[in-house]
Amino acid sequence: MSETTASPIGVYTRPKGNTGWRDWITTVDHKKIGILYGATAMLFFLIGGLEALLIRLQLATPDGTVLGADTYNRVYTMHGVTMVFMVIMPLAAAFANYLLPLQIGARDVAFPRLNALSYWVFLFGGLFLNMAWVFGDAPDGGWFAYAPNTGTIFSPGKGMDFYALGLQIMGIASLVSAMNLIVTVLNMRAPGMTLFKMPVFTWMILVVQFLLLFAVPVITVALFLLMFDRNFGANFFNPEMGADPLLWQHLFWIFGHPEVYILILPSFGIISEVIPTFSRKPIFGYPFMVFSGIAIGFMGWGVWAHHMFVSGIGPISVAAFSVSTMFIAVPTGVKILNWLATMWGGKIRFNTPMLFASGVVSMFTIGGLSGVTHSLAPADTQQTDTYYIVAHFHYVIFGGALLGIFAGFYFWWPKAFGHLLNEKLGKWNFWLMIVGFNMTFGPMHILGLQGMSRRIDTYSPGFGFEFWNMFATIGAFIIGLGVLAFLLNVWVSARAAKHAPPVGLDPWDARSLEWFTPNPTPVHNFDDDIQVEALDEFWHRKYGQDEDGRVVRVATAEEVCQDGSATDTHLPSPSYWPIVLAAGLPFIGFGLMYSLWFCVPGGALVLMAIYGWVFEPTDDPDGPHGHGHDDHGHDDQGPDDHGDAGEAAAETAEEAPVG
Amino acid sequence: MIPKSLRSGRLAALLLGGLAVLTGCASDAPLDTLEPQGPIAETIDELSDPVFLIAGIVFVIIFGATALIWWKFRDDHSTDEFPEQVHGHLRAELGWTIGPAVLMALIAVFTLLTHFDINGEDRTDIVVSVDGERTSWDPEVVVVGQQWWWEFRYYFDGLDGVDLSDPRHLPPADIVTANQLVIPTGSEIGLKLTSRDVIHSFWIPALNGKRDAVPYRISPWKIEAVTPGVYFGQCTEFCGLSHSRMRMQTVAMDPADFQAWIDEQVQPAAEPTDAAAQRGRAVFEGQCTRCHVVNGINDGGGADLVANAAPNLTHFMSRTTYAGGIFDLYQPDGSLSRPQLEAWLRNAPEEKPAYAEGRRGMPAMGLSESQIDDVVAYLSTLGSSPTMEVIAATEVDR
Repeated sequence: MSETTASPIGVYTRPKGNTGWRDWITTVDHKKIGILYGATAMLFFLIGGLEALLIRLQLATPDGTVLGADTYNRVYTMHGVTMVFMVIMPLAAAFANYLLPLQIGARDVAFPRLNALSYWVFLFGGLFLNMAWVFGDAPDGGWFAYAPNTGTIFSPGKGMDFYALGLQIMGIASLVSAMNLIVTVLNMRAPGMTLFKMPVFTWMILVVQFLLLFAVPVITVALFLLMFDRNFGANFFNPEMGADPLLWQHLFWIFGHPEVYILILPSFGIISEVIPTFSRKPIFGYPFMVFSGIAIGFMGWGVWAHHMFVSGIGPISVAAFSVSTMFIAVPTGVKILNWLATMWGGKIRFNTPMLFASGVVSMFTIGGLSGVTHSLAPADTQQTDTYYIVAHFHYVIFGGALLGIFAGFYFWWPKAFGHLLNEKLGKWNFWLMIVGFNMTFGPMHILGLQGMSRRIDTYSPGFGFEFWNMFATIGAFIIGLGVLAFLLNVWVSARAAKHAPPVGLDPWDARSLEWFTPNPTPVHNFDDDIQVEALDEFWHRKYGQDEDGRVVRVATAEEVCQDGSATDTHLPSPSYWPIVLAAGLPFIGFGLMYSLWFCVPGGALVLMAIYGWVFEPTDDPDGPHGHGHDDHGHDDQGPDDHGDAGEAAAETAEEAPVG
Repeated sequence: MIPKSLRSGRLAALLLGGLAVLTGCASDAPLDTLEPQGPIAETIDELSDPVFLIAGIVFVIIFGATALIWWKFRDDHSTDEFPEQVHGHLRAELGWTIGPAVLMALIAVFTLLTHFDINGEDRTDIVVSVDGERTSWDPEVVVVGQQWWWEFRYYFDGLDGVDLSDPRHLPPADIVTANQLVIPTGSEIGLKLTSRDVIHSFWIPALNGKRDAVPYRISPWKIEAVTPGVYFGQCTEFCGLSHSRMRMQTVAMDPADFQAWIDEQVQPAAEPTDAAAQRGRAVFEGQCTRCHVVNGINDGGGADLVANAAPNLTHFMSRTTYAGGIFDLYQPDGSLSRPQLEAWLRNAPEEKPAYAEGRRGMPAMGLSESQIDDVVAYLSTLGSSPTMEVIAATEVDR
């Protein structure tokens, strides 16, 4: 539909608005990139989930023989690496990409091509790391990869190289994306949207990007040193040569603790949108919610050594980090109470998004409380490296981060796909997950306090571990059913939507800017800039107050929303180069591991892509410059158009983003 | 320092799990962290129990409030009216910022007191007799982790002149034993933890929390038992392939028994008398002494392993477990648990995952069946078996 008469000028033309797969691999549209992030992360989620089920099968009975020690160590390592770096982080990135520009009323992110680059680098990094399975040599040192167990003497295979290089590659994606989104939030907000009129979700994403910006370089340094130790005979972590193995732990956890907040804050943001909407009240204490998020972001840098209470860092350090850890519970507690206060006095509708959001509030409370119990350094000497910790961080990361992401799926699915997810299946999804989750991880508190160590591939009978392990394994499979219910829901809902009228403009009676656009969001986002006057601008345009102070409807969503019919919006052109650049990186990774010659094609791809990127015209050479009407764009796009993947192409104007 | 009346925190632990059958199943859990058996572990328990309780109370309040809110403020479709649009309440929010902060500060005070308490040293010398010589021993034991077993070294002249800087070449000790740490009751025993390869973690939950054994670093720690008995432990820092098969026990004896134990352990190995054992000794000297030490045969010298050490077997029979504390040496009736030991000698990597080809763990020695019989006969002469009580209490194959 958008094929035009453009005459190519060598390789440096920009792709046109192709349809189908070509569009997906060249797109720079933040919405499509968000969907790509989400779909990819969900695939990795299935892999990580299968790994979790294998772990639970192995541990279901004493002296388990499902995996064996070697495979078990690889599986649990990859489960952790996958869930942290390839599932929760990119799922948060999916929401950030899709929603952040919409929530601030922007046309796209600041650097659309860089945004595409982030996604492709993440994808290739994730594939690279999972290639370790294909090579039969998955990492076996744990996601925490403590030195010197990860040196070539103790981990002689290539597994930890996949780890060190794969995470470095994915780190590029996080860094690029962090800078992109920070610039976007700081520069591209709609007129009138001051920082303190930004939705809480946008705020939390902003905090997370700053955390990424400062945390990812730290682990990159650590991984870089590890790479040199393993591949080039360096001795950064080799105690025999005088290195201090605790150096790795410090570097890892200076990254690793902010990482915890990188995982959880996006979900805090999501449910801070969901809970007010379904309680029909504004968020309680907006400034407290924002500042507690910022406080968590700052304090998150001062608690890393609580992962090292028993490592022998000395009693004074332990005391300091013990106290700082206790106080980080305060801003988190504020958030929980503010969510409850948001619900208090509301009119709560328990649709699936609200169920998941409520799940976060209660499950995260459990994770937070168990967190307080091991901020007590003496108590932690009993608890650390036992299943009590496994229980704790699953309550935080699964019960907090992942359930929040599911709340986001159900909440914004109509925004992205133009139809709701099925409520009935959604409730199955929620209840199976929450029951399975508590069955799996609740007993781990008990197992840990009974002394079951972490990271053990098996245990003997007679230590009192049998019953709860079997129980937890059953729970894990119930979680699996919950995930299947979600996948089924996606499929069933998409099928049903074909024969059903499109979802309304405002299915949830929502509050923030993204709902000004029709569902699904048109490729150009907003027809016109929105003049923002208040937090929850969308809601305030729908509702006013009568003389008694009661809330009354003043406008319908149809009156408030834009119809998505604008055709002269200037959009960044797609580009070939992000995927090409990203595709070069795994080759360089393989080169560092096997033969430096592989680095040549990888480096060539990267260089070629950088040149192509630089010389790529910022504009469609055939398109009219300036604000003219797009000559190959949206003729067929009406207000009820469902945004076929085809209409991405458009021109860019003189203010075209340079990303 | 915390009133006993508050010490019902186990209830809170239950609530934390959201499940209600903890103690019933924990009675036979030798690693239970909630059943302290010594003063140090009790100090920790006294700190954490009230916090479990507070956490449990907060849990009940939050969950109760949540349930109440969900019920009371659910949309029952009775009216179309919007609820009152409350944007916040500064005083309430300041309250639930400052309140928890004060609570945490309070907990912090007790935490720090306990923390410095369990990290302080309060040892008194024990008079022991070593080789007939009475000596005043500052009770410290050097604990060395390696893949995948623990070594315990006793220096009765104290550690002042002992150079521990290179864990792979430690100075000769009065007693070197493995997997079972023997201590006298009633005394605080200092531990100096280190490792010969990767990071391990020494943990006897009934006696104290854990502390990592970091290669080329010396980490101080301590344990103390009140009553004689056997206290189980497990390496808790992931240390590679057989991390789960790196276990240990602490055997606490009353001082008289401890003295008897010393008297026995300082003796070199006795010469075997029967023919099979003599043949076994020849095989042992040909094959096993490349790594294992038996005092009187090959005192000292590095083993052909990455860790540079294998368990000292001089008093092998006086211990009840082997291979990193995962196999019982004796059957419940006190007789040698022969088939398992033979299997271990036949093909150790088959019994316990190891990277023998990478010189980490005991390799398959390629011994013939008759050689295995002879070596078992020889090993049976190394040290005398412990009492039936110890055998029963230390059983790992439960």
